[in-house]
Amino acid sequence: MFKKILIANRGEIAIRISKACKELGISTVGVYSTIDKPSLHLRYMDDIVWIGDSPPLSSYLNIQAILEAAKKTKAEAIHPGYGFLAENEKFAKACEDAGIIFIGPDSKALSLVGDKVASRNTVKKLGVPIIPGMAMITKDLKKFKHAAKDVGYPVIIKASMGGGGKGMRVVYNENELEKSIAAGQREALSAFGDESVYLEKYIEQPRHIEFQVLRDNFGNCIHLFERECSIQRRHQKIIEETPSPALDNNMRMKMGEEAKKVIEASDYTTAGTVEFLLDKNKKFYFLEVNARIQVEHPITEMVTGVDLVRQQILIAAGEKITLKQDQIKQNGHAIETRIYAEDPDNNFVPSPGKILFLSEPNGPGIRVDSGIYQGCDIPPHYDPILSKLIVWSENRNMSIIRISEALKEYIILGIKNNIGYLKRIINSKDFAKGNYDTHFIDEHEEKLFPKQEKLDIALIAGALSKQAGYTKSESDFQKASTMKSTPWQELGKWEICSLS
Amino acid sequence: MNYKFNFLEKTHKINLEKADDLFKVIINDKQKYNISDVEVESNLISFKADDKLYNIYCFSDKDKMYLSIDGENYVLELEKDKTTKSKTKQQKGNSVFSPMPGLLVKIPVSVGDKVKSGTTLAIVEAMKMQNELPSPRDGIVKKIIGKEGEQVDALQVIVELE
Repeated sequence: MFKKILIANRGEIAIRISKACKELGISTVGVYSTIDKPSLHLRYMDDIVWIGDSPPLSSYLNIQAILEAAKKTKAEAIHPGYGFLAENEKFAKACEDAGIIFIGPDSKALSLVGDKVASRNTVKKLGVPIIPGMAMITKDLKKFKHAAKDVGYPVIIKASMGGGGKGMRVVYNENELEKSIAAGQREALSAFGDESVYLEKYIEQPRHIEFQVLRDNFGNCIHLFERECSIQRRHQKIIEETPSPALDNNMRMKMGEEAKKVIEASDYTTAGTVEFLLDKNKKFYFLEVNARIQVEHPITEMVTGVDLVRQQILIAAGEKITLKQDQIKQNGHAIETRIYAEDPDNNFVPSPGKILFLSEPNGPGIRVDSGIYQGCDIPPHYDPILSKLIVWSENRNMSIIRISEALKEYIILGIKNNIGYLKRIINSKDFAKGNYDTHFIDEHEEKLFPKQEKLDIALIAGALSKQAGYTKSESDFQKASTMKSTPWQELGKWEICSLS
Repeated sequence: MNYKFNFLEKTHKINLEKADDLFKVIINDKQKYNISDVEVESNLISFKADDKLYNIYCFSDKDKMYLSIDGENYVLELEKDKTTKSKTKQQKGNSVFSPMPGLLVKIPVSVGDKVKSGTTLAIVEAMKMQNELPSPRDGIVKKIIGKEGEQVDALQVIVELE
C-alpha cells in the first residue's frame, strides 16, 4: 500500500480524498495556488506545497509544478480528483514517466476514453448505441457545417477533452454555428488546456443517466448502478439522485452490463462512469466515459455502502476488487444537491466573495462534503462549487423531505448562493413525480423565481436587530478582520534585492 | 420607532412600538403583526409573529443585513443617501461593467465602433464560465478601460459609451 499520496486538487474533493487516504493509513500532501493559502482543504493534509500563482494554468493545471511537489515530498501516487488534470492523458503519462502512480486509468485508456470522438468510434464497434455526430476532430468550419446538416439541427458543440458542460453549446441554426464553435473552443482551452471541439445531434427531452463502474488490473469489473443527473443548469448537473425514477429493473441491468462492456473494451482501470442519454421513448445512447471520480459519487456510496475513493486507491495500489456483482445492492434512496456560489435569479452569474456566516445541516442520513468555513474568501479563479449536501433515506419520498429540510438548515450568508433555488426545485411537483429531463430548469424558469414570501418577517427581524443595537455602522466582525494585520502588512511595500 | 430598509430597489418602512411584553409592528403603513418572545443575538433572531415562531440566522455588514429564512436568503440594505445612488445608476447606462471579479478574456470592439443594444462589448471569465457583457443601448464606443488578459474587479467599468 502507498505511504503517501499527493492530492492535486482543491476544495471539497481534496478533503474527501484526504479522508479516504487517512482511513487507509496513508499520509497526504495538499497543493495550493497563491490565493488558496487560507483554503480549507490544506487544513486536512499532513503536508502542503505551493504550486504557483492563482490562475489555474499556473497552478492546478501546472503539470511540472505538481510533479515537482510530488518528488519533493516523496509521494508515491497522485490523486487528481475531478476537473483540472483528472482526465489529462499528458499528466497521466508524465506521472508514469516520473515513476509516480496516477490514481486513475493509465494514459493509454485515458487517451481513448478522454477523446470523445475516439471513444464514440470504439463504442460503436461494441454495438452500444451512440448519438449521430462527427467521427473526427477538425477545425474546419465547412466540415462542421456539413456534419450539422447531415444530422440535422439542433446540434450540440462539445469539448473533445471535456466534461461537466464546459465548452458545450447548443446550436439551433447555421448562423449561430461559427460563434458557438469559437466560444466552445475558448472555454475548452481554458478548462482543459485543449481547444478541440466536435458536434453531434442534439437529443431533445433527454434524461442524463450514468453508471458507476469499478475495474481492477486483473480484469475484475463491477458496476454500482446508476445516477440520474438530469437537473442541470448551463449543462452542468446541480441535483443528482439514485435510483433513477425513470428506470425499471430490466433496463437498469441491461444498461449496467453495457457500461461494463464499454469500460472493458477500453482496458480501463479504477473508477469510471459511463454516461448515457435516455430519450423520451426510453431508448438509451452512449454519451461518454468520465475517467475520474465524479462530483456526485457520494449518492452511489450512500445506497451501495461502497467507498468509491477507497476503491480507487486500492485498485491503483494493485489490489483486486473483492466485491462481486451480485453483492452490490441498491439500498434506499439518495439525493445530492451541489451548493454553488452563484446567483440563480440572475442567469447563474458567479458570486465570489467572503462567507460572513455559515451553518451546515446535520442529523440522520445527512452528509455534507464541504470546502468552506465561516470567514473564508471564495476566489473568482475556480469552479463555483462550495460544497455538496447529500441525504439518504429509505425511499425517494422520504429523501425528498429530508433534503428539503436540510436545505432549510443550510445557511450561507454574505455571498449569493443557490440553496433557496435548489429547495424550490426539490419541492416542485414535477420533481416529486420524477417527471423531468435536462430541460427542467429552462422550462420551469418562471416557477423557480423566489417568491419573497417571508419578506415581512425579514423586515421585522431587521428592525428588531437594529432596535437591539446589533446593526452598527461597522460590525464587530468587520472590525476584527480589519484590525488583524500580518507582519508583512505592517512592513509595507518591500522587495527582494540581490547584491552583486 | 421607525426603520427603513431597501429590498430589491424598493424602500420598506417598519414601525416598531413596544407595548408591555409585546412589540406592535406595522409594515409600509399596512400590514400589522404582534411580535412576542423576542430573543436577539448577533447572528440569531427568534420571535413569534402572530404566534408563529421564527428562528432567523443573520449577519449585519456595514450597510447590509443578510438573513436566512426557511432556506431563502434576504439581503436588506440600510437606507442610504439617495443622491449617491442615482449617480451610480446614471453611470451604469453609459458604461459596461463586470458583474463579478474575473478575467477579462476578450474585448471584441474598438473605440469609435457603432454598437447596438445587446452587442457583446466584453467577455469576462469567472469560475470557468465565460460571460458576455452586452451593450445596454445603441451607441458609440468612447473609451476602453480594460485590457484583454487582465483581472477585473466586480463593478469595474470596462467599456464606456458616448
